[in-house]
Amino acid sequence: MRILLVEDYLPLQKSLAKGLREADFAVDVTGDGQEGLWYAMSNDYDVIILDIMLPKLDGLGILKQLRAKNKNTHVLILTAKDTVEDRIKGLDTGADDYLVKPFAFAELLARIQALMRRKYEHKSPEIKIGDLRIDTVAKRVWRDSEEIILTSREYMLLEYLARREGEVVSRMDIWDHIYEFKSEASSNVVDVYVGYLRKKIEKKGKPAILQTVRGQGYILGT
Amino acid sequence: MWSLKSRLMYGMISGMTALLIGFNLIVYHIISHELFSQFDASLKSAANLISASVEQDDKENKFDFEFNIERMPEFAGGKKSAYYELWSSDGVPIRKSPSLGNDDIVRFASADKTRSFKSFVMKNGRPVRAIAISFQPHIENDSNAADMPHSLVLVVARDTGELLEQLRFLKYLLSIASAGILGLAYAVAGIVVRRGLAPLGTVAEQIDSISEDNLKSRIAGEDLPDEIVPIQRKLNNLLERLQASFERERIFNANVAHELRTPLAGMRSIIDVALTRYRDSEEYRCALSESLSVVNNMEEMVSRLLMLARNESGQTALTKEQIKLAPMVDKCWEAFAGKAAEAEIVFANRIDANLVCKSDAAGLSMIFSNLLNNAAEYTNRGGRIEAAAQKTEHGIEIIFENTGNQLTQQQTQMVFDCFWQGDASRSSTGVHFGLGLSLVRQMVELLGGKIRAEVSNDLFSIHIYLPLI
Repeated sequence: MRILLVEDYLPLQKSLAKGLREADFAVDVTGDGQEGLWYAMSNDYDVIILDIMLPKLDGLGILKQLRAKNKNTHVLILTAKDTVEDRIKGLDTGADDYLVKPFAFAELLARIQALMRRKYEHKSPEIKIGDLRIDTVAKRVWRDSEEIILTSREYMLLEYLARREGEVVSRMDIWDHIYEFKSEASSNVVDVYVGYLRKKIEKKGKPAILQTVRGQGYILGT
Repeated sequence: MWSLKSRLMYGMISGMTALLIGFNLIVYHIISHELFSQFDASLKSAANLISASVEQDDKENKFDFEFNIERMPEFAGGKKSAYYELWSSDGVPIRKSPSLGNDDIVRFASADKTRSFKSFVMKNGRPVRAIAISFQPHIENDSNAADMPHSLVLVVARDTGELLEQLRFLKYLLSIASAGILGLAYAVAGIVVRRGLAPLGTVAEQIDSISEDNLKSRIAGEDLPDEIVPIQRKLNNLLERLQASFERERIFNANVAHELRTPLAGMRSIIDVALTRYRDSEEYRCALSESLSVVNNMEEMVSRLLMLARNESGQTALTKEQIKLAPMVDKCWEAFAGKAAEAEIVFANRIDANLVCKSDAAGLSMIFSNLLNNAAEYTNRGGRIEAAAQKTEHGIEIIFENTGNQLTQQQTQMVFDCFWQGDASRSSTGVHFGLGLSLVRQMVELLGGKIRAEVSNDLFSIHIYLPLI
């Protein structure tokens, strides 16, 4: 799952990016409003975390332009502006959520997860595909009651495919949602990670749940 | 302190009492004078009548008394008695009225040798008023005109009991009437004063209903008397100033809260993320170091806020001394010279080396440092910073100018406002809080000067006007 963080206060920007990455999110970071708009328009983020007071272009300006161009990415406003008027203005401009600084990091994570569920139309934090069970809050995976230990990247790949259960997901889509903008592009890195993931989640004697659709991509579930 | 109502009542009633007493005294005096004048005229007529009835017999040197007592029965005695007594000039009694009986009237001489009035009490206890006249009786047979007539003294007195009774009644009547008038006046004054002061009560009620929560309220001016309208206007002006002051404080507090929230969020996020899992000591050290850096920035901001508060409450002690401006600017620049050199910024101090100003060294140093720090921060790469100064009619003008301006003329009006930042990115480093120029303006004003900002194309300049002394 890929997040864009637009925050100009460096200590907060750095710590949030670190925490989100450790929570198995791919995170693009910028402290500049104009750059933030460019990132948001150029990529398909799952969630955008947006400060309001930003240099060059403020957060509400970014949001207005995104919505004006029918970019429906879920946006969480993260700001020190705490009045009811500010919150109403932020939500009326098109934000999906509003969190006032200072905040608990765990709450931010919970709100991001809620926005992810809303995007992929999952009500429950747990995704079940056959006998495969994914706890998207604890970031843990089981098959047949047996826990499967995944690396961060493998988990990100599995969660993204699980969020799009039953859909053929292209390699480009996978790349866009589990790799950050600054990651070194590689033609077969997605295939390699799909291979790693397949080895861990497939069981002998059980039907395959992660299948390759030749020339198109991958599909999780039937 | 007496209430306004009491003062007005006291004033009105005292005034009215004094007027009534004066009026009563005058009325009493006039009536009394008139009554006594009539009484005296009657006495005088009686005395003239009696004196005209006395004749001197030239041969026997006797006096004939032709006064008919029946025509004036009061001299015979009775309740409304009148008295007369006639003496020769050497004091020998000649005749007296029957009303005197064995008694005598006090003989007194007239002041002008013809007539004189006197009030006294008779031996029978009755108050009387008497006239004394000296006269020469008519001589019965004037054939022997060479004989000189004898001079006689006549005293005629009348009982004044009834007159004094009338005057006492007049006193009583005037006193009762005055008391009644005063009582009525008190009641009327009470109503008038209460009604007259009612608008004050209305204003007081309106003031009472205004609290810090509804400072937008104003005291209504309709139906207020002309005397209260200026007070109402001044109170409304005061409320306006109070509201503006509260609003400024509210905005300031909101800004302080806002500016503290961001570093607090940063610190909390650093700590939260550090605690999400077990880490090695280097990672914890790194988190602590980042937190410390945030704390240092917050401390700097709080220090500046405290300095603003101290300056505002007049707790900053200033010591004025002769200061050479050019060396002080050079000294202040030293702290930023390195940073400026990295950005290839050229600094020129064009202040006359001998130009001096009597001011507070610490305050002036703070002003110069803040302005030069800002200039070093926002001047474009390869740009230029200049300091200049010149004597003016009233003091000294010091100018700090730098290239790389991105502010509009309109924004220069706001650069000295607390927490105002021309570009939100200035807060990203956590070093700039939008307080530096507020502090500068405050200090300039404490030093008795003025400050303004100006932009011209890519030039931004600050002009400080300081008094010479």
